[in-house]
Amino acid sequence: MFESLQHLVTGFGIALTVDNLFYCLIGAVIGTLIGVLPGIGPIAGIALLIPATYHLSATSAIIMLAGIYYGAMYGGSTTSILLNVPGETASVITCIEGYQMAQKGRAGPALATCAIGSFIAGSIAILGLVFLAPPLAEAALAFGPPEYFSLMVFGFIVLCNVTGTSLIKSLMMAVVGLIIGTIGLDPVTGVARFTFGSMSLLSGMEFVAVAIGLFGIGEVLANVEKPLAFLEGKVLVPRLRELYPTLQDFKKSIGPILRGTGIGFGVGLVPGPAPVIATYSSYMVERKISKNPEAFGKGAIEGVAGPESANNSACQSAFIPLFVLGIPFAPPTAILLGALLIHGVSPGPLMIGQHPSLFWGVIASMYIGNFILLILNLPFVPLFANILRIPKKVLLPLVILFCITGMYTVNNSVFDIWMMLLFGGIGFLMRKLDYEGAPLLLALVLGPKLEVAFRQSLMISHGDFGIFVNRPISMGFLLATLLFLLFPVFRIILKSTGKGGGFRGSMGGNKG
Amino acid sequence: MKRDEAIGATLILLFGAVTVYFSLRMSIGTFRAAGSGLFPLGLGILLMGLSIAFFVKAGVRGLPIGKKKPPSEVPRSTQQVILFMGAILLATLLLKELGYPLVSFLLLLALLRILGERRWVYTLSLSFLTATGTYVLFVLWLQIPLPKGWIGL
Repeated sequence: MFESLQHLVTGFGIALTVDNLFYCLIGAVIGTLIGVLPGIGPIAGIALLIPATYHLSATSAIIMLAGIYYGAMYGGSTTSILLNVPGETASVITCIEGYQMAQKGRAGPALATCAIGSFIAGSIAILGLVFLAPPLAEAALAFGPPEYFSLMVFGFIVLCNVTGTSLIKSLMMAVVGLIIGTIGLDPVTGVARFTFGSMSLLSGMEFVAVAIGLFGIGEVLANVEKPLAFLEGKVLVPRLRELYPTLQDFKKSIGPILRGTGIGFGVGLVPGPAPVIATYSSYMVERKISKNPEAFGKGAIEGVAGPESANNSACQSAFIPLFVLGIPFAPPTAILLGALLIHGVSPGPLMIGQHPSLFWGVIASMYIGNFILLILNLPFVPLFANILRIPKKVLLPLVILFCITGMYTVNNSVFDIWMMLLFGGIGFLMRKLDYEGAPLLLALVLGPKLEVAFRQSLMISHGDFGIFVNRPISMGFLLATLLFLLFPVFRIILKSTGKGGGFRGSMGGNKG
Repeated sequence: MKRDEAIGATLILLFGAVTVYFSLRMSIGTFRAAGSGLFPLGLGILLMGLSIAFFVKAGVRGLPIGKKKPPSEVPRSTQQVILFMGAILLATLLLKELGYPLVSFLLLLALLRILGERRWVYTLSLSFLTATGTYVLFVLWLQIPLPKGWIGL
């Protein structure tokens, strides 16, 4: 523990250099903007800015990109509270109580509670990251190819189970992503696969093109399809009469903030869209344990404090599987994995030892980033909210121009732009047909790792599939996978016996 | 089953079949020493199996699989999407020939018009200022070699 603190102090030394502070600030500001603007989520935002980090050191690059991720979580709450429009999916729950508070003229305290709660949660979660990551990394050294394979399969199944509206559809998207991930040179034999003679495809499908296409272009096209009135509509930002919460607000919020932090931290460690699940779980817990449950839905500050804290806490703890196992459990961390690989850093159990300045520098920067966001989000909320006054018909062409420019700069290649546009079209169709992009993207990033783990396992076992069930850790992950696969069946049985619908049921989902 | 659902599942089934076809043209090997085609072959078969399961499930239920979305309150404008995407495709096609500054200006102008911005002075000046701004940011400041085209900027 003492050693971790020593490393953290060194990390602060790295994060507090002028350069890294600057990139942390840039990341936090851009992240907040991305969070504020509905339609551009953290995934497209991070992917779009990866090319801008090419000339930076790996540490500075990840500090900036991580700042975008957690900055977007802060920013997302602004539009939820002021306009009842979630800036990103994790802020949907904040709309419920936050907007009600704004309607009562209490937008200021709601926003301030979000910022303070997020800061406290982020800070505590970082401490968890500091103390949990090193021992987990040591434990992960025991993982061989079969364990990694089973863990990745577990991750896919859980993600598919909790995203989208249909398990089969999500699984199909994951398999499509895995197939796209096989394009390029075979990682074991070096044979070209599905390249059809194209030199550009030899190094595999450019994941930035897929990410910007699916999540950036696809979203823009979905907005373009909306009527003229929507595109011309300017947002009326309410005036903030009071900004800071009262002592009573703070007393009401501190419990939910701490509970939200715990829930978020736990949820961030498991596969799935952690911030979304964490906010929902926190809200349900707060409503359940509240002495005044009837106040929920009418502007209860606990319903803002808990979920927003859970959201940020989950964001921070999601870095643990990424850094320690090298396996991202959600699309934003999958994008960050791609960025790490581009910068020549391969995350995994050895990363802390091999790249200590990056690991501890990024962790320390998160703490600084949270502080920057606290400062940014309180006095500058009206400024960020005013960005929403830009009509969509002006904003959407600008986003397209940035997507094209950003995509070109990745490899100075027009081919990449074509790929981005192709996936933009696919992303648009997926939205129309109700297919989720998250499993596809995660599978694309993890596909090559999964294949290598699968083939290495079978080489070790001389072709015997028993290797996946004979090793206890691998067996554990596969059993957990099976349980998740059977979860919809259990739910149907429970429903038919009239014992309730469970989590997805409450979410309004209808998994097929 | 809804028409859209059937189209989606059919496309995925076809994608799986194409994957299987091209995987079979690669070396498959054995489980002990897998060839480059084994893993994608397995994925293609799995994808086909999932799409068939989707059809069966949808057929049994007779209802669309997944959450029912509330009917949209707004009329869809597919034509607008086609025009918008068409302008982007054309701009990409001309990027090398015309160069980044000119293409970015023309693209913005076209997209703003497609999205219903009718004021010429406003669209021209906004497109010009944005194209100039991105040129200054990416080319002059960040030194990114964007296509110069025949204007040579």
